[in-house]
Amino acid sequence: MKKIFLKIAILITLITTGCTENTDTVVVYTTVDQIFSEPILNDFESHTGIKIKAIYDTEETKSTGVLNRLIAEKDNPQCDVFWSGDPVRIIVLKNKGITSPYQSPMANDINGFFKDPDHHWTGFSARARVLIYNKNLLTKEEVPHSIFDLTKEQYRGKFAIANPLFGTTTFHIAALFTSLGDERAKQLFADLKNNEVVIASSNGDVKKQVILGKVACGLTDTDDVYEAIKEQANIGFVFLDQQGIGSLIMPNTVSLIKKSPHTENGKKLMDYLLSKETEAKLAKSCAQMPLHKGVKIPGDITSLDNIIPMNIDYDKTAQKLENIQNYLKKWLEQ
Amino acid sequence: MIIRSIERLWYSLVFGSFFLFIVLPIFYTVGDALLPKASNSSLVENLLLINNDSFSLLAKSSAIAFSIAFLSTILGVIFGFILFKTNVAFQGFFKIALLIPLFISPYILAVAWNDFFYLCFGNINLLASYLGVILILTFIYTPLSIVIIGSAFLNINAQLEEAGEMMTDYLHVIFKITLPLIKPALLTSFVLVFIFSISEFSVPIFFGVKVFTTEIFTQFSAFYNHSLAILQSTLLILLCLLLLFSEKAYLAEAPFLSVQGGGIRTENNHFNHWRGLNVSLLFIWFLLSVLLPLVVLFIQSFDDGTAKFIQAFALLKPTFINSIGLAFAGAMICIVIGFTAAYVAEVKKTKSLIWLLLFVFATPSTIFGICLIKFYNRPLLDAIYSSYAIILLGYSGKFSFIAAKLIENAIKQIPKSFDEVAQIQGIVLFRRIWMILLPLIMPSIFAAFIINCIFCIGELGTTIMVYPPGTEILPIKVFTLMANAPQALISSMTLIVFSITLLLITALYLFFKALPKCQS
Repeated sequence: MKKIFLKIAILITLITTGCTENTDTVVVYTTVDQIFSEPILNDFESHTGIKIKAIYDTEETKSTGVLNRLIAEKDNPQCDVFWSGDPVRIIVLKNKGITSPYQSPMANDINGFFKDPDHHWTGFSARARVLIYNKNLLTKEEVPHSIFDLTKEQYRGKFAIANPLFGTTTFHIAALFTSLGDERAKQLFADLKNNEVVIASSNGDVKKQVILGKVACGLTDTDDVYEAIKEQANIGFVFLDQQGIGSLIMPNTVSLIKKSPHTENGKKLMDYLLSKETEAKLAKSCAQMPLHKGVKIPGDITSLDNIIPMNIDYDKTAQKLENIQNYLKKWLEQ
Repeated sequence: MIIRSIERLWYSLVFGSFFLFIVLPIFYTVGDALLPKASNSSLVENLLLINNDSFSLLAKSSAIAFSIAFLSTILGVIFGFILFKTNVAFQGFFKIALLIPLFISPYILAVAWNDFFYLCFGNINLLASYLGVILILTFIYTPLSIVIIGSAFLNINAQLEEAGEMMTDYLHVIFKITLPLIKPALLTSFVLVFIFSISEFSVPIFFGVKVFTTEIFTQFSAFYNHSLAILQSTLLILLCLLLLFSEKAYLAEAPFLSVQGGGIRTENNHFNHWRGLNVSLLFIWFLLSVLLPLVVLFIQSFDDGTAKFIQAFALLKPTFINSIGLAFAGAMICIVIGFTAAYVAEVKKTKSLIWLLLFVFATPSTIFGICLIKFYNRPLLDAIYSSYAIILLGYSGKFSFIAAKLIENAIKQIPKSFDEVAQIQGIVLFRRIWMILLPLIMPSIFAAFIINCIFCIGELGTTIMVYPPGTEILPIKVFTLMANAPQALISSMTLIVFSITLLLITALYLFFKALPKCQS
């Protein structure tokens, strides 16, 4: 019996500790939901024969797990490419000296507004911040069309936003601060607090609360809205402030990691991600809006040409985000 | 003499390996974080941020963890007693069924309860509060208390109780003999649940409840201030060490009666007329802690047919072999380390390894993950960092303490005279361990192995930080797929994880039952 135990232990340990070979591979860390990013990465693997080794992030860690891992791995990077679902995280990495410049030829016709001037990151396929609402609880006339409408008495305790310290919600708030100025933005958030805004754990939770009718409406991202529509939920959505400051557009961003172990393969992956083909796939799978001109998109997806975008500088907004984190923490804890 | 040397060599090997591979990375990272140049914020700035608010938050978190640990231990005594000391109906079923909340991630259980409350009451006000956090975590950790306390009940020598019964009624025997005999298990249950509860952040953050760990998480993930997060974690670790120190001091003064021997009576007939009540209690707890969340998950999974369940199975299938293999290997390593630590702590009275195990156990998972990255992510150690070995190091660090505590309790209950008699007979140490000690503590080793397997298979906090790119591990895949996946798919994946764990435990249980036959 003792020998059997010993043999099993040795066998399992040998099987499970076997090192993985390091041949023609590329390592990618992504905060984009696995359900959408994995098929794209698999396609790259079958097109090029370069093996993809991916690390995905989790909702539970507010999609900050891979970012923290990249920061911790700074001195000996394991990752070649970081694919982020928004521009914030990549700018954090750029500021920490973790990214490396790369100007992909595939991104030549993407508007410079969605690219880092120093080529540390390049944007593609964008999402937007929208207001999702429950059609059973709000008629078309009752739906708010500006973020300022949410401070009105009729929406008291009936709208939700995700935890403002994390993810695209933080970025949205930072963009509002950049766009409106500190004083006006702080007044807006004080008014929202007074109007009993519901704080959800994540954008997905905002979507869920609206679908279930726990709240009438909430701020979330377009991909969440399209998922809800796919699930045949009775919801609608509007791009806010189309007559005013516009809606926040958040491109996916991709970046090459400094001193990455497979730089050339990393560049190939970046080129693939920045292609029209990838944008078309992301438009189909998760309703992301292409930044390239002339990409075929499904009929129910709004084109970027039809949205008034919030006019912000992504770098400055990322800087603003760092400055308002303490304010947001206090606002949340009030 | 040679035996003594081998014994010392073995201990040094285990102690040295644990220190070198698991504790040193933490010291290294903490030291690095405390150096002013290591981060944007200086040490002084960070120290100033640890103010009265931090301590009051820590006190609040301690109060919550205390409530959870207290409730779980009380419930563990009640259900442990019913399951292991009476001949209640459906005993075998409840013994496994009540463990189910341990298989499901706290985060997913919180989501299920949230949905259930909303469907039933139209709001979640009760849950989105300290009370809700206490309720959910009590549901999750009570099975741990049941296993710990139940295995202690199994080890009680019936002769002591029977002697008591000759003098007084059985209720007095329970309070004056039975419960004092299992005091180490009660304290272990309390300490383990307290540490698990105070380190847990996914449930409080889901319900928007601010506790000390959500503060650490915020510093870590929103402010990227690793130094402050590590400093705050240090406070948490100190608190846990203090708790263990108090436990040790208390146990050292407590007079323990050694138990076990021949004539074991693991059940009695005193509660026969309470059979209905006992089954009802078990069923109510089963309904609340298992059935309700599972029904919610089932409804969500199969609302639109079986398509999502089949899809979930296909997605998770590639992870099964890896995850089960890793969980087995991890649990085995934990048992070896835990047994060594427990043996030297109880027999040789050398507690240093147990303290090291607690130190790592009390370190928040994410911080431990960062420590492993910072230490192992260098070209020289790439063989460890890029392989499954890094995950096994994570498991060993996080869970060896649990194995050590369970085995330590079991050893505490073995009369020293057994070993002394064998020693006088000239039986060598290894034979004494193999023939006397191990068979007597086998139920506890088995319980420790099962618990470690469950924890290893569900470990997320550290594994998410260190798992090698391109590898597929069950809990990681579930959680990475959760974001934006349809609810039916998420619930199906949870059910599959639950089924896999249940199958694994049943297989282990059957294996354990067959074990004595093999030995004979």
